[in-house]
Amino acid sequence: MYVPSMEHDSCGIGFVANIKGVKSHSIVKDAITMLENMEHRGACGCEPDTGDGAGILIQMPHQFLKEECAKLGFDLPEFGKYGVGSIFFPTDSAVREECRFILNKHIGELGFELLGYREVPTNNSHIGATARSLEMKLEQVFIRHKTITDPTELERKIYVLKKYTTHFIGHNVEGNNGDLYFVSFSYKTIVYKGQLRTDQLETYYPDLQDQRVVSALALVHSRFSTNTFPKWKLAQPFKYIAHNGEINTVRGNLNWMSSKESLMESSHFSKEDIMRLLPICDPAHSDSANLDSMVEILVLGGRPLAHVMMMVIPEAYESNHLMPDYKKAFYEYQGSIMEPWDGPASICFTDGIVVGATLDRNGLRPSRYCLTNDDRIIMASEAGALRVDPSKVIMKGRLQPGKMFIVDLAQGRIISDEELKKDICTRHPYRQWLNENQISIKDLPIKEDYEFTFDKSSLQTRQLAHGYTTEDIKVIFQPMVNQKTEPIGSMGNDTPLAILSDQNQHLSNYFKQLFAQVSNPPIDPIRERLVMSLNISFGKVKNFMEETPEHCRQIYVDQPIMKNRQLEKIRVLDSPFFKSKVIDITFDASGRKDALENAIDEICYKAENATRYGINVIILSDRKMSKSRAPIPSLLATGAVHHHLIRKGLRVRCGIVVEAGDIRETHHYATLIGYGASAINPYLAFETLYDMQLNEQLPQNIDKMELFDNYIKAVNYGLLKIFSKMGISTIQSYQGAQIFEAVGINSKVIDKCFYGTVSRLGGLGFDEIAREILVRHNLAFPPKPILDQRLEVGGVYQWKRRGEYHLFNPDTIHLLQQSTRRGDYQLFKKYSEKVNDQTIKAATLRGMLQFKKRNSVRIEEVEPKEKIFKRFASGAMSFGSISHEAHSTLAIAMNRIGGKSNCGEGGEDEARFVRKENGDWERSAIKQVASGRFGVTINYLTNADELQIKMAQGAKPGEGGQLPGHKVDEWIGRVRHSTPGVGLISPPPHHDIYSIEDLAQLIHDLKNANREARINVKLVAEAGVGTIAAGVSKAKADVVLISGHDGGTGASPISSIRHAGLPWELGVSEAHQTLVKNKLRDRIVLQADGQMKTGRDLAIAALLGAEEWGVATAALITEGCIMMRKCHLNTCPVGVATQDKELRKLFSGKPEHVVNLFTFLAEELREIMAELGFKTIDEMVGQSDVLEVRPGIDHWKLKTLDLSPILYKEPADNTGIYCSTSQDHGLEAALDWSLLNLAKPALEDGTQVYGEFEILNTNRSVGAILSNEISKIYGGQGLPEGTINLRFRGSAGQSFGVFAAKGLKFELEGEANDYFGKGLSGAQLIVYPDRTSMFVPEENMIIGNVAFYGATAGEAYIRGMAGERFCVRNSGVKAVVEGIGDHGCEYMTGGIAVILGKTGRNFAAGMSGGVAYVYDKENTFSDYCNRELVEFDPMEEEDKITLKELIGNHVEYTGSAVAKDILDNWNAALEKFIKVMPRDYKKVLQARKKKLEEVI
Amino acid sequence: MGKPTGFLEFDRELPGKRDPKSRINDYKELYIEFSDEKTVTQAARCMDCGVPFCHTGCPLGNIIPEFNDAVYQEDWGLALEILHSTNNFPEFTGRICPAPCESSCVLGINKPPVAIELIEKSIIEKAYSQGLVKPIIPPFRTGKQVAVVGSGPSGLAAAAQLNQAGHSVVVFEREDRIGGLLRYGIPDFKLEKTVIDRRLDLMKAEGITFETNVNIGVDVPFNRLVDEFDAVVLCGGSTKPRDLNIDGRNLNGIHFAMDFLRQQNKRVAEDDVPEAGAIMATGKHVIVIGGGDTGSDCVGTSNRHKAKSVTQIELLSKPSASRTEKDPWPNYPMILRTSTSHEEGADRHWSILTKEFVADGKGNVKGLKIVDIVWEIGYTGKPEMKEVAGTERELPCDLALLAIGFLHGETDKFRQKVNLELDSRGNIDTKDYQTNIENVFAAGDMRRGQSLVVWAIAEGREAARAVDKYLMKESYLLARDKSLTSTV
Repeated sequence: MYVPSMEHDSCGIGFVANIKGVKSHSIVKDAITMLENMEHRGACGCEPDTGDGAGILIQMPHQFLKEECAKLGFDLPEFGKYGVGSIFFPTDSAVREECRFILNKHIGELGFELLGYREVPTNNSHIGATARSLEMKLEQVFIRHKTITDPTELERKIYVLKKYTTHFIGHNVEGNNGDLYFVSFSYKTIVYKGQLRTDQLETYYPDLQDQRVVSALALVHSRFSTNTFPKWKLAQPFKYIAHNGEINTVRGNLNWMSSKESLMESSHFSKEDIMRLLPICDPAHSDSANLDSMVEILVLGGRPLAHVMMMVIPEAYESNHLMPDYKKAFYEYQGSIMEPWDGPASICFTDGIVVGATLDRNGLRPSRYCLTNDDRIIMASEAGALRVDPSKVIMKGRLQPGKMFIVDLAQGRIISDEELKKDICTRHPYRQWLNENQISIKDLPIKEDYEFTFDKSSLQTRQLAHGYTTEDIKVIFQPMVNQKTEPIGSMGNDTPLAILSDQNQHLSNYFKQLFAQVSNPPIDPIRERLVMSLNISFGKVKNFMEETPEHCRQIYVDQPIMKNRQLEKIRVLDSPFFKSKVIDITFDASGRKDALENAIDEICYKAENATRYGINVIILSDRKMSKSRAPIPSLLATGAVHHHLIRKGLRVRCGIVVEAGDIRETHHYATLIGYGASAINPYLAFETLYDMQLNEQLPQNIDKMELFDNYIKAVNYGLLKIFSKMGISTIQSYQGAQIFEAVGINSKVIDKCFYGTVSRLGGLGFDEIAREILVRHNLAFPPKPILDQRLEVGGVYQWKRRGEYHLFNPDTIHLLQQSTRRGDYQLFKKYSEKVNDQTIKAATLRGMLQFKKRNSVRIEEVEPKEKIFKRFASGAMSFGSISHEAHSTLAIAMNRIGGKSNCGEGGEDEARFVRKENGDWERSAIKQVASGRFGVTINYLTNADELQIKMAQGAKPGEGGQLPGHKVDEWIGRVRHSTPGVGLISPPPHHDIYSIEDLAQLIHDLKNANREARINVKLVAEAGVGTIAAGVSKAKADVVLISGHDGGTGASPISSIRHAGLPWELGVSEAHQTLVKNKLRDRIVLQADGQMKTGRDLAIAALLGAEEWGVATAALITEGCIMMRKCHLNTCPVGVATQDKELRKLFSGKPEHVVNLFTFLAEELREIMAELGFKTIDEMVGQSDVLEVRPGIDHWKLKTLDLSPILYKEPADNTGIYCSTSQDHGLEAALDWSLLNLAKPALEDGTQVYGEFEILNTNRSVGAILSNEISKIYGGQGLPEGTINLRFRGSAGQSFGVFAAKGLKFELEGEANDYFGKGLSGAQLIVYPDRTSMFVPEENMIIGNVAFYGATAGEAYIRGMAGERFCVRNSGVKAVVEGIGDHGCEYMTGGIAVILGKTGRNFAAGMSGGVAYVYDKENTFSDYCNRELVEFDPMEEEDKITLKELIGNHVEYTGSAVAKDILDNWNAALEKFIKVMPRDYKKVLQARKKKLEEVI
Repeated sequence: MGKPTGFLEFDRELPGKRDPKSRINDYKELYIEFSDEKTVTQAARCMDCGVPFCHTGCPLGNIIPEFNDAVYQEDWGLALEILHSTNNFPEFTGRICPAPCESSCVLGINKPPVAIELIEKSIIEKAYSQGLVKPIIPPFRTGKQVAVVGSGPSGLAAAAQLNQAGHSVVVFEREDRIGGLLRYGIPDFKLEKTVIDRRLDLMKAEGITFETNVNIGVDVPFNRLVDEFDAVVLCGGSTKPRDLNIDGRNLNGIHFAMDFLRQQNKRVAEDDVPEAGAIMATGKHVIVIGGGDTGSDCVGTSNRHKAKSVTQIELLSKPSASRTEKDPWPNYPMILRTSTSHEEGADRHWSILTKEFVADGKGNVKGLKIVDIVWEIGYTGKPEMKEVAGTERELPCDLALLAIGFLHGETDKFRQKVNLELDSRGNIDTKDYQTNIENVFAAGDMRRGQSLVVWAIAEGREAARAVDKYLMKESYLLARDKSLTSTV
């Protein structure tokens, strides 16, 4: 199940340079020291001494090499006249020598002269066994060219040599297996790297310790990989870049690149050399390596490095009204040459002369820099990683989203983003080029009398042929038009996978959307809309090595869905520049074998020919469907043409427009675009809408074009959501990015139409796909007319007798409820028989499996049910999504049996932490920490046995959530620390987890906050979840939960419920296999959930690798849920999923019933264990060879599946295959032990204490352990203010003051990193620059990104600027700061933010509560504020008092000059303050005030 | 869906009924008109459940949430389309169905259920009044001849479906009128016969041939039918009544309920019913034996005859007024049901065992000896009855009507020349409605034993699909539990 292409990594990066270009060994030394201080951002594998990778790039140490080569007996010419290649040769000596022979031959062939080889000295005595077993010998080759004298030309020729040799050896040398690797090959830079820990780099390469190794710049990188078999060559830096991040669109980028290669020409490379270079990228390499290859060719092709970086990682320009036009024009123009390489990224880059860094458009990675008065510039993922004397610092800053930072060592200065980009963007008249060449679809001509028409008489026939159901009309179309957004549903998906279903399926249903979890953040497409884009252009793409006006001669649309009118414009295109051609995508409906595949081949052939003849827009149309011609699924045709043209190197010569009748849901659009479509005309959807209006099923008062507009808007909304859940922000990079996993499609179809898509279980071939289409085609065109025909009923979203099968149906719901109410095990067996009885059909993958016969044991020998109870958890359901009654009943039941209930995201009433008199306990053992952080206080964390980080939810992985204001009553508001009546938003990402090392940090935070609790990370099954699980294990989680896609929900878009994520059978087996393969399985508990219904389900999960299980839906049904699927409407008629007081009274569930359920499940499991001869669960975990596919399956679809990947048993190789050891959380190094020591008197009797400490960036999560101890004694109350007073000096590590409890006062002199005051629970935090520093505090960075995330109470005073997302989801902290980055006060629900300086863009997005006061000195704030939810209000007297007090405190605590100045000129300053107030919040407050007045 | 909060806002409301005192003077329908507006409000109570238990509670698989929604949207045409797609005769079920759908309505867990039957009736009546119900004449014929034996609800449903599929259908009925039990079993005050005629007119217009007064197996040999038609569907019902073999059974004045009801239906239809042999309750002490629906119909009819007294007795114990643990939702519960006929007056007794009919010496019955019993769980684990000593007594009885169920269909007449197989209960044995004779199918009570009209219609529809499939290899008639685009 392991999917190598899904490996992820992320990292710490940085550089040190001397601005004036002065070379020294200290730069190298400093860079390495800095790297070592970011070791916590890297990771180790199963052995502590094997790192994931570390490396350094420096300028060529000419003198050193010259002397060393002389010792070896050859002379080096002067600098710039020779090149040095650092090479990892294959370890096998014969292979190595063959490679060397070829390299030497090529050196001669390309006009070079071989000067000699140098074996780079290494010392491997410290490195781990795994790393050593894979160790590759680094050698350096020295060459000079016989004719070329210009260094730049030399660099190009060296590049040709490198690529040529790599390709040649790759093709011709057996046994090489891609091993030969050029670490670097240049005349000016050199790289040392390996599978090392940061602190092993220097010892491993003694060169790096040599004082003669000097450089003016040094780029470093440490890697955190999600797997433990990173290869030596995957370490970074590469040739030009060090990358911390993830290219989400890499599959598409590589596909596009490979087809661009056919058009590649360059004045800098001969035709012959270009042949030697190709292919430029290599799908076998990592995303970062490919990005580096891309940068390399573009730079050597003549573009400046900064220009190249702007092309591949453009800023978000589309909706930025503050951006100068020349820059917008540049980005627009570049878009016609190159789609963005989209994803979170912090990239350091250098060509040996300029060194710089850039950040992705949304600023999803930290990058801090600092300039000293001795010309040293230090840039790193963390501030303080390299200690510098604070008195020497003249500037401290951070990279901002989309911004670039460049130091030109030749010019000896820092070039600002503005100056740099202005220079690049004005080199050509890009705007003029665009104006003259780019054509908007709006401007294309059309026949004047064109009008929308359709044939009503054949509408139903066509709807039937394309699989429309009455459910589509009601559930999809109606809400899309009426609400202009995606329809919402609730509860999980309990229908079969497409490949297991008896119902006719749309081809898209076989494709599951992938989503970001852990290794990369999803984006909030609503609140962070400004980084999203739907613009797309198509037509012919030209030679990417050049820039001419003709490059942008393309058709431009502002979103991808075309009305008939727009398509008509394309259809008639016939100009010297644009020609379109319609290709029919129907096939012979007679049922002939191979008919579909032949038709596909023919379509591809036609598309190829058309493209060769200069057609630049291909329209794939199924309009010619008839009785004898069935429509090919548009997705199949599009994918086939897309990949065929890629294979032929023609893809970029044309755009693909789809005109098809089978497109209606968002997911259909997403799959089409994901497999290459540029624009889509869903004509039948439009006709259906029109017809619905005629039938009065849609509002009559809107024009039909508006009807279509609403629908298009809804689809676009859904598309943005689908891209963003993968962390992709532009449609241009989503196009062709194939962000899907196929389930149930065979490799032949995949290879032809969806090449590169993961499809692990085989499935339908072309003929089977045809069979599925022809069933509906025959119904649409029956042999004799059918009277009174209607559309089919569907039954996907609602159980229907004629419809799709649901595991929870009237029978099973009834039996489950009755058996658990009566305590009737025999009746429960009837229920489980119904669920398990899949002899005829298989509703789940596990339905296809059976247990092998084994020697059984007596049931008395099997461990008692009490032991099994401990392995049960109830699924995460928040108080808010379900009623208090349902929530606490579940908690009581789980506590009675010794299992764990999960509080879900929404806090928990502290009253429940105390046991009741009758011994029952409503406290949830598992406390969830989700992206909204509602109610996550130190006391909440302390009162838990397990803390679960919810990375994703089965029903809507990669998406956030929203609790509408009307559901937030007094009680829920209090528990969530928010204002009743005000809506609450859970963001799609955790804003403190943008990468795996961030997750490790949060795990560390939580473990500090509650050392006794297990830390659990909840993931959702998808291709690649195994590598994520491995990363999670390396990040020190104690438990990893793999959720199936079918988990429940209180409210999710219905397309997400159906189309994202995979069943747990796939996820659990992949995770287990990958963990075992990585030797990481024995230190983590693997838990599974997602529609666990019977003992058999549990047994199969255990055999596939899970030792614990979560049960949610079945438990809810036991409590009375009857699968209304109306949770989102608050109308649950049985009082389960509602907050309505009257409805809650109808709740009839009892803890006894739930206890019965778990007892029955355990008993059933024990029976199976006895049957299979397992006495304990531990014996059973991972014994997948006990399972086999049920023989005699003759269902035509099921027969095509191959489940052996799920059943594969990874050899254990002496490692445990269930959790048998515990993680080393490294808490002994915590600074808090010293704090705790000092605070003893305070904890004992509240005595005030004082203390002072030095602090370093490696001191992370400071204050959490201490706060945990306070909570244990004093609960949510904490200590009186100012009881524990601590002063720190230095650079604080991440999460300074995290969850700090009331009674703590932390004063920090120096600076801090990300997550300052995260989850602050009442403490006071004060930070100001070091007393010796010289810079102006209010203009410099002092704390990092995401400060006060989810904070609930406390105060903070920050003398200086903060980074992005200041006060994100703050619900109670009062904070004063002197300037902030983008997205300030995002999702804030309470508290006060005072900003005495500039804010970045998108201020107050999603802010539903609290107040911000912004000192808008220059009157520019309104441009930066997102006013969707907030208003600017006049300052009232109360505001003035509050503000003055806070600013007064700020002066007092930090000595702020800005603040003092404001106070000194109070009346004038007041004029400049803007009060930012959320609209709903204000309404609620006013209403309350009024109520209060009435009472008084 | 209808109105998400409708069930919280509105109470269940049904049409009013005419005053029992006045209504027992005629045989007309007894419900008072109910406004469309009110029906729409009732439809708004539907919660459009994720798992609509009503939809499975209904033997026809009526797509109840969908038509409720259409009614709420006041799209009566769509509502009719949805209703007709699963039910050929909503005007019958809307009047006389015991509505298992309502018993399984999710709202019924803790509130009065949605008035589904009322909505069903309203849809079809509205549709008739607006002229939306039109004959749908198949524009083609397959050339296949199908005979349907019996014109009760299952026979009619089968005929309607088979005709829609393009087959030429002849319905044979031994009585003089079409309708079977609908016509001669159910009194007019529950189902006015114009309702049947209205539907029959449509069916005739659609091309179905009806042959009355033809008793297959008697007038026409069954094997001739089997030979001459491409397929035969047996829908003869379960007409053999269960008898009560106690002393005095042969006295005058003891009749099977169906004989009594049949006569009265004929009278209402203004047919000649000879004085001799007329069964009249007028001025008599009537005892109805059997507590079911047929018994109830006898009560209503006796009251209309102006009986001196009407007593209904039942062997089983008196059910509780509401659901008990034994009958949890969504099962069809054994509860005390008070029919409109009971409202008109009857003495009802439960846990009564009949001992003997007492003669008046002239060969007529004059009394019935009964005894109270109690039901107790015996050592076999099954309930057993025990007489209560000292409770023997005699009730005055001039007319006794036996309404204690039916045994099976009258199948002997079909089995004279062909070996039609029966099951252990005497019903016709089938596999997917097909009997052991390839082209002979069976549906309704004759196949499944005595049951509800709604089941009969459901059987007729499913059997028609089986016939169509047999004749054409493939059927495009809607199945209850399978989509037409199912790929298996």
